[in-house]
Amino acid sequence: MADNNNYRDTTHQSDLSISITPAKAGVGLLFAGGALTMHRILCLSALLMGLFSAVGVYAADAQQSEPVDPGIEGSAIDKSAKEKSDSGGSSFAVWESKYFASSPDNTGPAVEQPIEFPHFRHAGDHDKGGMEINCMYCHTYARRSLVAGIPPVQKCVGCHQSIESVRDKPRIKKLFEYWDAKKAIPWKKVHDLPDFVRFSHERHIQRFIFQLNRPVQEVCGYCHGDVKTMTVARRQKLLSMGFCVTCHEVKHPVTAEGGTPIGDQAYWYSMRKPIIDASGIIKAQGPNDCSVCHK
Amino acid sequence: MSISTLLENYSEYRHIHPVDDVPHNPYKWAMAIDLDACSGCNACSVACYAENNLPVVGREKFAHGQVMHWMRIERYWDEDGREFPDQGARFLPMMCQQCEAAPCETVCPVGATNHTPDGINSQIYNRCIGSRYCSANCPYKVRYFNWWDYPTTDNVWPAEMNLQLNPDVTVRSKGVMEKCTFCIQRVTVAKNDAKTQGRLVRDGEVQTACQQACPTSAITFGNLVDPNSKVHKKWQAQQVELDKDEQTKDMAEGGSELRGYRIYEQLRPFPSVMYMERVRESAI
Repeated sequence: MADNNNYRDTTHQSDLSISITPAKAGVGLLFAGGALTMHRILCLSALLMGLFSAVGVYAADAQQSEPVDPGIEGSAIDKSAKEKSDSGGSSFAVWESKYFASSPDNTGPAVEQPIEFPHFRHAGDHDKGGMEINCMYCHTYARRSLVAGIPPVQKCVGCHQSIESVRDKPRIKKLFEYWDAKKAIPWKKVHDLPDFVRFSHERHIQRFIFQLNRPVQEVCGYCHGDVKTMTVARRQKLLSMGFCVTCHEVKHPVTAEGGTPIGDQAYWYSMRKPIIDASGIIKAQGPNDCSVCHK
Repeated sequence: MSISTLLENYSEYRHIHPVDDVPHNPYKWAMAIDLDACSGCNACSVACYAENNLPVVGREKFAHGQVMHWMRIERYWDEDGREFPDQGARFLPMMCQQCEAAPCETVCPVGATNHTPDGINSQIYNRCIGSRYCSANCPYKVRYFNWWDYPTTDNVWPAEMNLQLNPDVTVRSKGVMEKCTFCIQRVTVAKNDAKTQGRLVRDGEVQTACQQACPTSAITFGNLVDPNSKVHKKWQAQQVELDKDEQTKDMAEGGSELRGYRIYEQLRPFPSVMYMERVRESAI
């Protein structure tokens, strides 16, 4: 359960192979078509290449598309997820970094902050020159409210007034300019959800850090990416509804007690798709109710 | 059951109460409104406007039926022969009845309105496409449609006044259906706090805006499942049961002396709001 990679949605791994299959086969055929007018050996090799890639992908697909029995609750899914991550490596991570992290459409724009705050220096690892400060030391509201919060200038100055070694650095000078002028630093919001979404930091922190005892930076990184290596924080994850669901569908089997299925209406969404286990109890996955997240 | 029987007596086959399948646990939010206490002062309606970011549409749009009052006071004149200044009236606060088998839910083409496990008929604004089927199917006519883009083009909240908006509630735009949510934002906060402290929501921890504003405490809101909650006690005292389309007390010979009733019970939407009949003379 506390396994690092385990919270990821494994269905995405199989999605990956499925989505690539037609593309690769198409490339192979294209090669073959163009090569017919060219040299025969080239043609043959291209055909063979296309065939091999198609067969290879087919084999990989067949290997990955072993059915996950939806009738069994979380533990079985965990188990299959573990098996897959053991055998298949972190193909999801590769795919994710390729399509989520680097595409300018999916990540937020580079936000220019009034002070280029070096997250890597404060939260980064010791061996890379960081201080490994707990995220919640500055973002102190995360554990008890919806928002994580931005620290007041006082918090920055509280430490920095006694750190003489960096006092002359331009960023710190700027910090003390704000402090002396008694003005708040106009930080810009980086992880901005739409107004119709209710996201609670508290719930996630309570669950992962205080109940499951996972490391803070790992937990924050689920949604905020590798902030400890960044200077100014950038949005690294998609933060779309699909992104939320990748975790919630797999890892949160919730008993849909009290749900009122009327003409299947309540089960419209995949999030609410019921699983009826052996004892006849209906289970839905994720927060099985739109109004939990949508306000 | 032949087709003709089905068509002729459709209402008898239309709904069964779903609570029998999966009982509400641990929450079922419900309300009890004492019409004897209600003075028709409209404070509940005003509180609702403030809490839920409702636009004030003005006289002209009101006349066109585009008013957005989630909580409205219905007025019924006494027909005792007296003319207007002397004529008495009765008042009835009407809002979404959060039906258990809601007629609006079954007709939504995109599933934007659906039932939550704690018995609230939720409306998801960003999913709504504005087909207005739900409003057409609602027997209480308590769903309101945004015919205009009130925040921007209509400028209901000009600059600085937008700071009064409740951040916990979406500001709806044009083409979206909306209705009373039993102040679900307050319910969510209470449930969140309770979960962090590892307990259930206490009775009285959540107040709806209308309940809070009511000067005569006519409105009671709470968890119907909790046997110690005020709302449960009121429902029990009036012998009104959630999953009945006709109450046992009313079937007794000569009817019942108890005041509790639910509106349009016979249509089988199984509403979550119980009204208590007025017994005193009308106000003049």
